Amino acid sequence: MSEILETPPEFSFEKEKAIAKSFSQRFQWEMILIGLGQAAIWLSLWPLVLNGFLDLWAGFLIAILCACFAYLPSHEAQHGNYSRGNPKLRWLDGFVGHISLITLKFPYHILRITHMKHHAYTNDPEKDPDYLNAHPKSVLTVIKNVLDGTTLQFGKYVDVFASDKAFVNSFQKAIPIAMFYKFLPMVLVVIFPLETLLLWWLPAKIGSVYTTVFFSYYPHLGTSTGRYKDTRFWSHWMPRFINHSMQLHFIHHLHPSIGHYDEPKAIEELKPFLIARKVPGADQIPDRITLNPLIKI
Amino acid sequence: MILEKIFDHVSNWNKFWFGLIFLGSVINAILKKFSLVGDSPYVLLFSLGAGALIGIIAKIRGVWL
Repeated sequence: MSEILETPPEFSFEKEKAIAKSFSQRFQWEMILIGLGQAAIWLSLWPLVLNGFLDLWAGFLIAILCACFAYLPSHEAQHGNYSRGNPKLRWLDGFVGHISLITLKFPYHILRITHMKHHAYTNDPEKDPDYLNAHPKSVLTVIKNVLDGTTLQFGKYVDVFASDKAFVNSFQKAIPIAMFYKFLPMVLVVIFPLETLLLWWLPAKIGSVYTTVFFSYYPHLGTSTGRYKDTRFWSHWMPRFINHSMQLHFIHHLHPSIGHYDEPKAIEELKPFLIARKVPGADQIPDRITLNPLIKI
Repeated sequence: MILEKIFDHVSNWNKFWFGLIFLGSVINAILKKFSLVGDSPYVLLFSLGAGALIGIIAKIRGVWL
């Protein structure tokens, strides 16, 4: 927090928080639509392909797209960004969180608790469940690790956070769902082998690689620990519209309650604060981000 | 807890079962697409064996790739 103490009063934390809060109010209907929509499209692929209405290879491509859109709506749910503290709407977080992740075959409870620990201990080699995804030798290592599942060390984090009852309880709650996602493809593959491979297993792998590369690797590459140091602004040849704008992921780490599609406007307003706090790459943030693809060649 | 024991077993032998059932079924389905070997009665046996072998190797190595 030394970054806050070092900055002049016009960039106080209270002012930063007030601006961020003004972008944290909107009901994120489009994210709910994407989460439930991709799951519905993915589910409909099965009867369409099995009854011959859709070619399996076309189904494969659509399933990949669905898998790439699956994580973010669940991620918003993990932060309670649909209910926004309203107990009557809390069911919506769980509903969108669970349904959206069917395509990726991941239990919502496990992703939620490990993601909360990722926020609390970003870039800590022992306590950040995303550490191995964020700090490998190269992007190829990330892809290999995700494909063979070596970075999914959920068991390790049950030991690390054994004294955190809420963490352990949520983990145990997720075990039946995790088993369901292990067993169901094993049953389906016996009956529909190529369909299970091309509509679920392979798209889930590709979606996981996409999610890990853009959500974990690029935003945290070369960063250290500390609120204003653990995530960076970055850009490369790819327009931000096809990697879920993860160039802007740093603002999510600073203010997780800002809705995903409100982040560009929030960053435009918060830019002077980000530069004053020396957020990695903040000096390269363009003044206008809305509709800006943020390409750097 | 029974669920946890099953979960532990699945975690420990995951690669073998995945190789045998998942990869075996997929290899079998792919081989059946080729008319040269598709009609052979040994295709299923070969496929399951190949899948199990890949799974065992992955279990011994500790990683798939």
